[in-house]
Amino acid sequence: MPAFIEECRYEWKRLGVPDAMADEMAAELEADLVEAEADGVSAAEILGESDPRRFAATWATERGLVSQPPQKGSRKRWIWVAVGLVVIAFFVLFPAFALIGSGSGSVSIVRGTPIQVTSPRRVNVPNVIGKKACKAVRVVARSGVDDWRIAGHQHGFSCKEHLIVVGQSPAGHVVRRDGHPVIVRLRLGRS
Amino acid sequence: MRRMANESRRSQMLRGVLDLCLLAVIVDEPAYGYEMTRRLGERGLPTVGEGSIYPLLGRLERDGLVATHRAASDGGPPRKYYRASPSGRRALAEGVRAWHEVRGEVDSVLATIELEVP
Repeated sequence: MPAFIEECRYEWKRLGVPDAMADEMAAELEADLVEAEADGVSAAEILGESDPRRFAATWATERGLVSQPPQKGSRKRWIWVAVGLVVIAFFVLFPAFALIGSGSGSVSIVRGTPIQVTSPRRVNVPNVIGKKACKAVRVVARSGVDDWRIAGHQHGFSCKEHLIVVGQSPAGHVVRRDGHPVIVRLRLGRS
Repeated sequence: MRRMANESRRSQMLRGVLDLCLLAVIVDEPAYGYEMTRRLGERGLPTVGEGSIYPLLGRLERDGLVATHRAASDGGPPRKYYRASPSGRRALAEGVRAWHEVRGEVDSVLATIELEVP
């Protein structure tokens, strides 16, 4: 058996082509090459391919005996999908981390993001009077209220301004929702 | 360099219709692989360029455009014979019509060119 066919068989085995199919293709190729040689036709003219591994893989793939190798295009698509997910995750998680970690930061906060809470029906509004503004915001945001606002600071405030909560509405106590969202309003002043 | 470019263009053009050529040589009488190569040569297509007919035959077989059977050849080992299936005959008819359309369209553009190869 010519070395070319031996190489093909090796490749088919590596690709997991069933032995019966590999035997059939090898026999077909060998018989054709023998006949071509008798006619004075070179194997190169018949095969049109000098790389036996590539020839064998292409043939088996075209016959549907092995799965198609992943294309470069689809690999690139996956990279773009991954990049997209990272960007989305960044925009979703960044505000949350900014809120939690803004104790010593300078993140400007205008008002809280509405928190969709459907249960429980009662919510314990924390008393944050006297607390530093950024800490108060974190405490209120975690308490389960539906929303919160900072009065008189439409353009936001910085955690470095050393503001404290000087007033809040409603006051710190358990509030029933009764179908209405619980919104806490905070008033800030200089410490 | 120019010769290589011409061969590459020829290969690319052939690649789109080689399946039709193979179907054409087995539409009336089945043939095995090398026999098909020989028939192509007899009809004026001595070389098929890059690649080989075997992967193409594999695809035609997978797509059900050819039917195969094994039979003894003249004094040699049993061979795998290919013939155009009913689907293959339909594909050939449609492909030949498309080929004539494309050839006519391309000719209508290129036929007006009267340049000589320098």
